[in-house]
Amino acid sequence: MRETIQIIDAQTGAPVDAEIFDEVALPHFIETQAEWRPVILAAARALSQQPNQGLLIPRHFHWDWTRKEAELKLLAVKFYGLAHAGKLQGIMKVETVAHSCRLPEQQGKPLVYIDYIESAPWNIKKLMGALGQPQRFRAVGTRLFEAAVLQSQEEGFRGRLGLHSLPGSEGFYINESGMTPVGRDPHKENLLWCEFTREQAEKYLAGE
Amino acid sequence: MNQKRTMTLNLTDQEMSVLDQLSVQKDLSKTALIRQALRLYQLVDARITRGEKLFFEDHDKQKAELMVL
Repeated sequence: MRETIQIIDAQTGAPVDAEIFDEVALPHFIETQAEWRPVILAAARALSQQPNQGLLIPRHFHWDWTRKEAELKLLAVKFYGLAHAGKLQGIMKVETVAHSCRLPEQQGKPLVYIDYIESAPWNIKKLMGALGQPQRFRAVGTRLFEAAVLQSQEEGFRGRLGLHSLPGSEGFYINESGMTPVGRDPHKENLLWCEFTREQAEKYLAGE
Repeated sequence: MNQKRTMTLNLTDQEMSVLDQLSVQKDLSKTALIRQALRLYQLVDARITRGEKLFFEDHDKQKAELMVL
């Protein structure tokens, strides 16, 4: 799968073409380590020197995609990449068998689980702000999230989707995307489990 | 989605009955259910092949190792 979608140039506000694809391979993982991590670490270092900025330090700066290479062969796992002009702007890992729905009305039914979703650091305003640089693109995470919802429909899961939200993303998933906050998960760092029903997914894709 | 190919699956009445039942229970088509089963089998097999073990835990926290062929 490889499709042209649009993301937003953060400086001009204009839409620009990008590609979303699921043929993710080891070189993409290496690209995140080689090009993303140095920027993330520099931003984290800058943020740590500012007062009261602890909450802004990215929780996922230690994530290493290259450790996920073995999972590229698993049918239960799928990776998506989003690139602009040949440069990786975001990456996402979803799973289809290791989790099931928790909302009472769909409990136990299969869903697409977003295990990890990450934008390149130059697309994160707070990180670039710490480095005194402008944010490059917006809507990268949103386009990846949409791909997961579409996968759920294509899989026959009717849009059912779940994830553990990082604290800084709860507002996006609940208020902007319309997911239901089901509860904190003591088995997953007490992160908030959020879930889409079929109806919520349809509303989200319709832009309602 | 990747290109799909079609195959014929021969099941006994009992197997078909289980497939029907699970399809309703999980709100999946039969094809989607078989696909899920294949994914799960591969995932479990891959983890056992690399030396991990699969356990079920009952309500009393007693663990029983599951043998997967």
